Amino acid sequence: MSKTTKIVLIILGFLGILSVFATGSPAMAEKTEITVWAMGSEGKLIREMAVEFERSNPGIKVVTQSIPWNGAHEKLITSVIGNIPPDVSQMGTTWMSEFHSMNALEPLDGYIAAAEAEAATAGTGTSEVKSPGSAAEKKLPFFEGSLASVKLPGGVFGMPWYVDTRVVFYRTDILKEAGYEAFPASWDEMFTMLKKIADIKKSRGEAGYAINLPASGGLDFLPFLFSAGTEILDSGLQRSAVRSNESTAAFEFYKKIFTSGLAPLETAKDVDIFNAFETGFYPIFVSGPFMISEIERSKPGLNGKWTTAKFPAGRTSTSFIGGCNLVIFKESRNKDAAFKFVNFMSTPENQAKWYKISKDLPANPAAWEDESIRSNAHLKPFYEQLRSVKAPPCVAEWEQILSFISDAIEKAVYERITVDAALAGLEADINEAVRKDGREQSQGFKIAMVLLLIFTFIGSLAAYFKFAKAEKDQVSHRKPSPAAYLFIAPAISVLFIFLLAPLAASFMISLTNWNIYGVNDYSKIIFTGLDNYIKLLSDPVFYISLRNTLIFAVIGVPLSVAVSLFSAVALNNRFVKFKGFFRTAFFIPVITTMVAVAVIWRWLYNPELGIFNWALGLFGLPGQNWLSNGYLALPSLILMAVWKGFGYNMIIFIAALQAIPTSIYEAAEIDGATELQKFVHVTIPMLSKTTFFIVLMTSIGYLQFFAEPYIMTGGGPMNATMSVVLYMYNHGFKYYNLGYSSAIAYLLFGIIIAFTYFQMKFSSKFDA
Amino acid sequence: MVKRTGKYELVSLYALLAVCLAATLLPFVWMLSTSFKDTSEIFTKSPVFIPKTPTLQNYRELFVRVDFLMHFLNSVIVATGVTFLSLLVNALAAFAFAKLNFAGREKLFALLLLTMMVPGQVTMMPVFIILKSLGLLNSYLGLIIPGCASIFAIFMLRQFMRDIPDELIDAARIDGCSDFRVFFNIVLPLCKPALVTLLIFNFMGAWNEFLWPLIVMIKEERYTLPVALANLNGQFGTDWGILMAGSVVVVAPVIIVFLIAQKHYIEGITAGAVKG
Repeated sequence: MSKTTKIVLIILGFLGILSVFATGSPAMAEKTEITVWAMGSEGKLIREMAVEFERSNPGIKVVTQSIPWNGAHEKLITSVIGNIPPDVSQMGTTWMSEFHSMNALEPLDGYIAAAEAEAATAGTGTSEVKSPGSAAEKKLPFFEGSLASVKLPGGVFGMPWYVDTRVVFYRTDILKEAGYEAFPASWDEMFTMLKKIADIKKSRGEAGYAINLPASGGLDFLPFLFSAGTEILDSGLQRSAVRSNESTAAFEFYKKIFTSGLAPLETAKDVDIFNAFETGFYPIFVSGPFMISEIERSKPGLNGKWTTAKFPAGRTSTSFIGGCNLVIFKESRNKDAAFKFVNFMSTPENQAKWYKISKDLPANPAAWEDESIRSNAHLKPFYEQLRSVKAPPCVAEWEQILSFISDAIEKAVYERITVDAALAGLEADINEAVRKDGREQSQGFKIAMVLLLIFTFIGSLAAYFKFAKAEKDQVSHRKPSPAAYLFIAPAISVLFIFLLAPLAASFMISLTNWNIYGVNDYSKIIFTGLDNYIKLLSDPVFYISLRNTLIFAVIGVPLSVAVSLFSAVALNNRFVKFKGFFRTAFFIPVITTMVAVAVIWRWLYNPELGIFNWALGLFGLPGQNWLSNGYLALPSLILMAVWKGFGYNMIIFIAALQAIPTSIYEAAEIDGATELQKFVHVTIPMLSKTTFFIVLMTSIGYLQFFAEPYIMTGGGPMNATMSVVLYMYNHGFKYYNLGYSSAIAYLLFGIIIAFTYFQMKFSSKFDA
Repeated sequence: MVKRTGKYELVSLYALLAVCLAATLLPFVWMLSTSFKDTSEIFTKSPVFIPKTPTLQNYRELFVRVDFLMHFLNSVIVATGVTFLSLLVNALAAFAFAKLNFAGREKLFALLLLTMMVPGQVTMMPVFIILKSLGLLNSYLGLIIPGCASIFAIFMLRQFMRDIPDELIDAARIDGCSDFRVFFNIVLPLCKPALVTLLIFNFMGAWNEFLWPLIVMIKEERYTLPVALANLNGQFGTDWGILMAGSVVVVAPVIIVFLIAQKHYIEGITAGAVKG
């Protein structure tokens, strides 16, 4: 047994060494320290402002930390659940209600009033301090739309930092040719102009469209809805108000642009917008302030040939307002210092400074007086537009509502259903999403339920080990070996803590209504039994995602395994040279980042420039819209997935091929076997265990198909590439319906088990 | 007489391999070449594979914006920790499942296989809460320990180990070897190709992981390389040159590990070791 102790010691020693690295000791801080989170590049740039702040507030140390944009939402939510949020964070205006609903944000009214009182007593005001005493929020000097996002039930929950809106970007020279000196101010005039531009382009045989708009809606569609006068929710924010004449007008107008061929139905995602703008492929598009510096930077040759304009008016010219605020979390221990920083960032001088650093548009209109902003002609339409904007409704379910709007407009644009039907469906979806569950359950009942579920879980585990029929045991003739438990102990304990127990917990979650409101307040969570599962069974998107997932697995798995097997066998051939080189090359797609892979495959599939359409052209066949055609999108993703993944299984096959004793091949050769005979009668039988393993693993992987649609298509067009796991991910981490999301996972679990069961039955014939 | 593969067959085999080669290397080459392009050249109609005016500007900018050494070290600690710990932990378990007899063995194994079929994303919240209660947030161990046991690895090694003839193990036992001697001296060397494969997979998986390190590591000093590089992305704009330079820097170590590890694929490694 001394060996046993040795191994235990080795493991412990290793863990010991690692734990030395594990946690750094916190710096002894005499200053008050506040942590500030900001996203992406802003998280780096905010350091400059922090340094300035520290200079004027020597008692406070600001620790800035940058959080990548893709992942920021997950990071913020886990930090709230774990009670370890930063003191201050940047927060998108459309996320405000969500985190407010989680009860995670600190109201700032008291701090604002105190700061103003202080400024007033400081006497001869350096800034224009207005009459003290009235409610603090009234005087906050920000754009109306920005203020709307921080004024939530119970007070003011953040300080507006920068704003974002959508305006029209257009090529002045192309509009001039069509006879327009400025961008039209109304929808009708705009439509006439788009027609003229399209006609000119057609007469010259030029490729492209009059305007680029996303057929799948999204944020770029909101200005149309708002300009038409649509209200998405009623004034109480409890019910949908979306089914109205105004919405119908917006939907019809947007649809008309596409059905008249003025905007691209199918190619929007696949064309690089900068080039398209330069060549005139898209002389007009809708975008936000970040685009100004992007165009100036990447297409300096276009200077003087483009500018921006306010949105044309339907009933009014109303764009949407977004942007970011700075918030203070309830859990912060240094709220006074945190507020000083937030307040510092909101002054006109500092917001102007921030503009120079980041090009983010100040939320404080006074900052727009700064020379750097006033002198930029492209920004003027933004300023005007910001006076006429509308904020999306302040509800926690906004992300989900936006996705419903996108679905509805997409279906209408593609003429799958009438505008009226699309709006009726949208109304039903929104009402379902904002419906509050009024039920309440006592604490005792919930604890009893949790205990009951835990006992059921342990009980069924025990019953499984006691009563389940064991598989045929390979070494049953051998004595039981007590050391076996030591062998499995490390793996099993880790798996139990980090896999089995969490799985049991998430099953429990699938029986509850856990959503945004329950994140920080467990009393809001109630057990709803099988409600989530029942709802799922009547959810059409779930069925579509299930169908796509099955198609993906049934076609993808055999294809992928066959390609892996072929390449492994070819590379194991004695006569092939440069084996190491080929192996590495074939493995490279597996390790290349998905981002680079996505860029290349978008180009390969590009309708105008891609290789696939070029190849079709050689045979005189018409080009296809690979990724935006509802029938081709899924096969296109399958091809890409096989390409990206076959190297993985190839490596396993090679390892297995190497384990086949060469003596068997030699014996076959002596008997005069051909290459093919050796493959069929030696290689394939000898690989049966590995093939079984690979088929099983690949099937499980393909049934959990996620990365390709997530990056390439986002599940579109019209859910044609929506997979079950992507649908689950959206519900879990975009809309935060944890209960529903867990239910999707468990339903998929059931399906994979059934799938695997048949595979095992089928393969047990040759698995010795 | 050993029959040689025909010339014709070999040529067509090479042709096929060459096509596969072109297809697999294309994105990689594009990534590499873009990392040497200046901004004006990146935005062209169709991908340009050889930059007209190659520049190191993207790499320079990358190292200015990212504290490369710090994040690189974080990644190395996490990836090597996960890789070697998981080889040991999973091989131990796989050996017991393949070659030792104990009560409930097959049932336990079937149960483990079952858990693989639930999509991993669903356990994110519970695992986060467990890590927090164990005090493992913001520590390397918080990434290494949950990552060191893998059912995939146990399953794969078990499949390999089951092919090792029992006679070999029995013979060693008769010679007085303990189970641990058998494991270290006989079974592990015979599983070398499988272990090398797992080493590559484990390293790659741990090295490329994005979301989990982001959530577990509270402080920016602890971010791994992929997380730090993701910070280069703006909310809307993307600096492709720098992003691709960053991708090259992330991918390079994995390729190096792969090149070193695959040297250990020696043809017919077990030939002659086992007769029977």
